[in-house]
Amino acid sequence: MRREPFFWITISCGLVIMAFILLPLIQMMSAPSAGMLKETIRDKDVVRSIWLSIYTAGLAALISFALGTPLAYLLARSTFRGKRLVESIIDLPIAIPHPVVGIAILSVAGKNHWIGQIVSELGIRIMGSVTGIVTVLTFVGLPFYLNATKTGFEAISPRLEKVSRSLGATMSSTFFRITFPLAWRSMLIGLIMCCARAISEFGAVVIVAYHPMIAPVMIYERFEAYGLKYSQPVAVWLVSISLILFLLLRILTLHKVKEA
Amino acid sequence: MKKKFGFGLLFCAIIYIAVLMPFNTSFADVSGKVIIFNAGSLTIPLAKMEKEFEAKYPGVDVLREAAGSRKCARKITDLKKPCDIMASADYTVIDQLLIPAYADWNIRFATNRLVLCYTNKSNYATKINAENWYEILLKKDVIWGHAEPNIDPCGYRSVMVLQLAEKYYEKPGLFKKLIANRPKENIRPKSVELVSLLQTGNMDYAWEYRSVAIQHELKFVELPDHINLGNYKHDNFYKKAVVKVTGKKPGTFLNKKGKSCTYGITLLKNAPSTQAATTFLKYMLDPQGGLKMLREMGQPPFIPCRVPTAEMQARLPKALRDLVEVRE
Amino acid sequence: MITIRGMNIDLRKFQLRNINLEILENEFFILMGPTGAGKTVLLEAIAGLIPLMNGNIYIGERDITRLPPEKRGISIVYQDYALFPHLTVLENITYGLRFHSIDTTNAEKRLDRLLEVLNLFGLKQRFPVNLSGGEKQRVALARALIVEPKVLLLDEPLSALDPNFREEVRGALKKLHQSSNTTFLMVTHDFAEVLSLAGRAAVMNNGRIEQIGHVKEIFEKPASPFVADFVGMKNLFEASFHETYAVASGLKIEIGRIVDPSSNYLAVRPEDIIISREKFSSSMRNNYSGIITQINNQGFYYEIAVQTKDVSFKGLITKGALIELGLEEGIPVYVSFKASAVHVF
Repeated sequence: MRREPFFWITISCGLVIMAFILLPLIQMMSAPSAGMLKETIRDKDVVRSIWLSIYTAGLAALISFALGTPLAYLLARSTFRGKRLVESIIDLPIAIPHPVVGIAILSVAGKNHWIGQIVSELGIRIMGSVTGIVTVLTFVGLPFYLNATKTGFEAISPRLEKVSRSLGATMSSTFFRITFPLAWRSMLIGLIMCCARAISEFGAVVIVAYHPMIAPVMIYERFEAYGLKYSQPVAVWLVSISLILFLLLRILTLHKVKEA
Repeated sequence: MKKKFGFGLLFCAIIYIAVLMPFNTSFADVSGKVIIFNAGSLTIPLAKMEKEFEAKYPGVDVLREAAGSRKCARKITDLKKPCDIMASADYTVIDQLLIPAYADWNIRFATNRLVLCYTNKSNYATKINAENWYEILLKKDVIWGHAEPNIDPCGYRSVMVLQLAEKYYEKPGLFKKLIANRPKENIRPKSVELVSLLQTGNMDYAWEYRSVAIQHELKFVELPDHINLGNYKHDNFYKKAVVKVTGKKPGTFLNKKGKSCTYGITLLKNAPSTQAATTFLKYMLDPQGGLKMLREMGQPPFIPCRVPTAEMQARLPKALRDLVEVRE
Repeated sequence: MITIRGMNIDLRKFQLRNINLEILENEFFILMGPTGAGKTVLLEAIAGLIPLMNGNIYIGERDITRLPPEKRGISIVYQDYALFPHLTVLENITYGLRFHSIDTTNAEKRLDRLLEVLNLFGLKQRFPVNLSGGEKQRVALARALIVEPKVLLLDEPLSALDPNFREEVRGALKKLHQSSNTTFLMVTHDFAEVLSLAGRAAVMNNGRIEQIGHVKEIFEKPASPFVADFVGMKNLFEASFHETYAVASGLKIEIGRIVDPSSNYLAVRPEDIIISREKFSSSMRNNYSGIITQINNQGFYYEIAVQTKDVSFKGLITKGALIELGLEEGIPVYVSFKASAVHVF
């Protein structure tokens, strides 16, 4: 069958994009020697830093889930004056340069701001703390979770919920029996995106907290101090571990689809 | 018709470029980019110098990168980043890490001293003074910090001040207790970052150079000369402080001994714009030029600047030889 | 059973104005009207799924205006059935039971009865994605009825089905209605459904109710030009009225009774118009001669348009009669109808 030029254009663009993404990554992943990789993972600071990156990203995703789901539902189901404004505000963290995010959060967290005052009186510390890191990561990751979940909710016909209510179910029963089972895949994708975004954040975190050191900060530090040779292995470990985690998550959910 | 117009324009442009343009530049012979790696504490004075210099020499573009002085050196030695001038907060960094492979000479051009900075929002701001500062830094509800010793000379100098304090005030164990109240989270790679932490109220006290405190309009506690690393007459006492920092290669270490803060500057051997860089140094090390600006901004310069030996003076570029004196 | 008083709804896209409606217990009531008239909005308002601006809704004596949908005991079946895609047919049907305290034996009895009436036994474990339109319809009905609601709302339940199925499901609806105590309120376009299923009906237009009454009344005595046109009274004319006759576009039409002189329109059903080649000498008071301008095949009937002077009449005729009379476009014919067939409003 003769293919149209249109077909070939799409294929070639696809190949170019794949190459564009894969070539630098393959170069980076294959650069460190096996010995270098072993030595790096034995370094306690490296392990601690990667673990910190993973669990702060996870916490950020959890908080996004808890706070973001109701808002996503509201945006999916209702129209109100200023809705577009709210949606634009939600997208703001994506557009703001990362160091600016860090500076903004630091300014609010200090004792010179009324929020910082309250926070410090409660004994909570933002600068140079895990709390601060999670705050920053939630800030940058929320829009990703919100948008994916909102789209998921929008794809469910409101009539299903209306029928459920007419049959005697309350709003929350309806949400847990009808809406959630139909939307959970979108929510999971949103969580993965939020996590991925959070793990890779650097510019905003480094301003709020240099120590404790998340992996991207350590990679940058090692690069500045000792060069590529010492920073690449950390990068390889971080990327590999993240990839494995995300793959695991996807496999677990695919499994569920097969059961259904 | 259109073609004729086009040619006419092209003709005029060529005339302009060939004949008229040369008359438009003033110091047309000095041009190019001058890359400076400088210590964080020199940022504000150098920014002003850049403005004044570029006004005189519009063909030159001065590009500054501030970082801890040791990091500046590493960028040159390990990362091989292109650089014309290195200005260090501790001249020994140039001696130890750059000479002889990357530089031939080292001009000492200014001094500084350490102070304890704070704002009026800091805890105990109204109570702190030169006698009780170390007691306040021991309190649990005080957040204070310094720069990273491995990266920024201000970092290891701050640690030295604390060591010297223990000896000066005759309080054995003081140093350990102070360090115990300064968790890792309060360390930043560049001392100047601590300033914004003070200003936003995220930190109560930070160790910085006196010049930086003045330039950022911070309050500060003046310490006795014996411990503030500012007076070369006390060098014998200063050298009692020793801090271990990372060496040339990862895994190696060296011991830094306390010494009065002396800033050093050099032009690198493989500088990409030697001519423009030398012109800049000529301006900067001029008592009426850059040095005057330094003094106005709270950092006492050496007038004239110093090199340790006549040999080194001979190695300087011609234009700079008259600006220095030989002094140990 | 259902009483609505002075209800107004203002949503961005739809508005309902001053709705007053009374539906009796166990009635099969039909709501008619063109697209956009607000029929679905009205249904959803009764179910409590959209908010009212003002007005009240009563079920029996009880004011349910402020009651949330889950407490109203009103089930709704949508045009697209809205089956829960992640649940089996059985789970769909029994969904509502857990929210109403019914003991298991009772529940099983209800389930079996509905499965039987609606012929769903073989489909219990299937998922909605594997059902045909008709099967989905029946599952939706079973789901709605198993909770024995006081009111069942149906939004054009038959419009998405094949014509063959429609009769079947129509029959099932009738049977379900008769064997239960539920009041049925159905929205439809199809007059055949209206005529076969309903007792009383209402016609809506632009968010208002134009007429409520027995189906026969609506079809034979429309209360406004809109309703007349909607129910297919094709011969609708503006006229001036004088005692027992009217004048429409220069044509004098006998009405045979005294009517309100402030009336503006008259209408005649196409079925009431007799078309003939010869002038009819009968008791019909209205006889006009004209030319056939159009013969339209309507499937089972032919619609004949006859132009008399300034007025065009539309009549219906069977194929047999068409052939027998030898009717063609352009030939002269006579149009006759009784004075009593003239409807005035």
